[in-house]
Amino acid sequence: MDQLIQLLIAGLATGAIYALAAIGFTLVWQTSQTINFAQGEFVMLPAILALAARDLLHLPFWVALIVATAAFLALFGFGFKRFLVDPMLKHGVLPLAIATMALSILMKEGAKDGYSAQAAQFPSMVPEGVVSIVGAAVSLRDIAVFVVAVAAIVALQLFVDRTRLGRTMQATAQNPTVARILGIRVERMILLTFLINAALAALASYLISPIYLAKFSNGEFIGLSAFIAAIVGGFNQVRGALAGGFVVGLVDNLAAAYVSSGYRTAVPLALLVVFILFKPEGLLGRREERTV
Amino acid sequence: MTRVLEVKGMKKYFGGIRAVDGVDFHVNQGEILGIIGPNGCGKSTLFNCILGQLTPTDGEVLLEGRPVTGLYPSQLNRLGVSRTFQLLQVFPTLSVRENLILAGQEHRGTKLTRLFGRGDAGLTDAANRMIAFFKLEHLADQKAGGLSYGQQKLLDAAMAFMAGPKLVLLDEPAGGVNLTMLAALKERLEAINREQGATFVVIEHNMDFVMSLCSRVVVMAEGRVLAQGTPAEVRADPAVVEAYLGH
Repeated sequence: MDQLIQLLIAGLATGAIYALAAIGFTLVWQTSQTINFAQGEFVMLPAILALAARDLLHLPFWVALIVATAAFLALFGFGFKRFLVDPMLKHGVLPLAIATMALSILMKEGAKDGYSAQAAQFPSMVPEGVVSIVGAAVSLRDIAVFVVAVAAIVALQLFVDRTRLGRTMQATAQNPTVARILGIRVERMILLTFLINAALAALASYLISPIYLAKFSNGEFIGLSAFIAAIVGGFNQVRGALAGGFVVGLVDNLAAAYVSSGYRTAVPLALLVVFILFKPEGLLGRREERTV
Repeated sequence: MTRVLEVKGMKKYFGGIRAVDGVDFHVNQGEILGIIGPNGCGKSTLFNCILGQLTPTDGEVLLEGRPVTGLYPSQLNRLGVSRTFQLLQVFPTLSVRENLILAGQEHRGTKLTRLFGRGDAGLTDAANRMIAFFKLEHLADQKAGGLSYGQQKLLDAAMAFMAGPKLVLLDEPAGGVNLTMLAALKERLEAINREQGATFVVIEHNMDFVMSLCSRVVVMAEGRVLAQGTPAEVRADPAVVEAYLGH
């Protein structure tokens, strides 16, 4: 029983991080109708950048965090849109998808060669410790990760639904042509979407790296888990990504404990297959019809 | 009588195809002008040239006497020309009220108030009046995507009025709408014309709808103006009868 509670909390914590990354898939999908195959690397890199800024520039860690976040937003929020998505989208969504695959390799190899091939400790922003929940000792860090990630997602959802800028972003995603006619600065809204994506990826990076260590290859499993989360939850909904993240986080933690840690990533993949076969629109997604 | 819109010598060629081939017409303040013609007669192309979605091969568009040829749709919108769409273009995940606010918000305030001002851009009252006018009260807080096709058409029309336009261009408002909803739409358009002096151009191939709604009609065929005048005059014109009914 104790172990189950611990696993559930740990599952919800990793699930919330997957959800942050999965929302990135959703945002990029809505604005450019493509899948960012570098999404996992987007979550891997900010932590590496922060460590590099600390070790190579000899900055205090919190300054390094700020510098890394600013650099990441500039390069992979603004730069990603301006220098990769915009030029490639003119040639269609498939070339863009392939370009994001190339970007993922570049980011991974860049992190390996530019910083380290070894896994590095990433300082946790939450003190170590355990609290007792219904008799089970639960890591304080898991709870903090869960709370921060969910708070970020709730804040995003409120922003999108309740503010003028958020509604304008929705309108842009749904119908850029009409939004433009109504005087909305569509390009600016799309840029904002990419900046939000980069910010969520950076947050996910700082939350997950203390748990799994910061390593250049982290993007592989994070990207895959987030992708499955997005499919399971429904690709076109922010709250779908949240639900999908929790499902995948719980399934992979429970599978690691009760099935086999070797099959940890295989079980979510099986889940992906089941969803694609029987409920392709996901738990909360809408069916999409589009003209080709 | 002031001319809100004047189109002179409008031409649009696609390669060798003369989709619009020298069209002249004008729209007077407070009038409902209909543009009709068989499918492929060039009326949608004409519309798109006026609205800046296509660049005309030749010709001029004047809005209240000022040349506006070749301006972007968003610039025209800012100058007071709004439009509805043949294929519905409401924002499905926003509520009816939010759709209306969105349609008017970019016309108000400065850069600063747009960023930091009120979430509704001070348009909630205006949106509510529009909702009441188009009798959509019971749907005000529902997502536009869940409305019936006809209700979405009403919303689309209401959105066109949110920015206080000088001229509204309606692109096939009757297309795909059932008769009850069509009557409601027509009645509301007549009311807004009568009460607020709104000026319209309606493109339609539903003859009954145009003939009963419009005060003046321009008939197009093969890229040219075949006839223009009151509905009765146009209906009696032998050239029109031939274009519509054949020999």
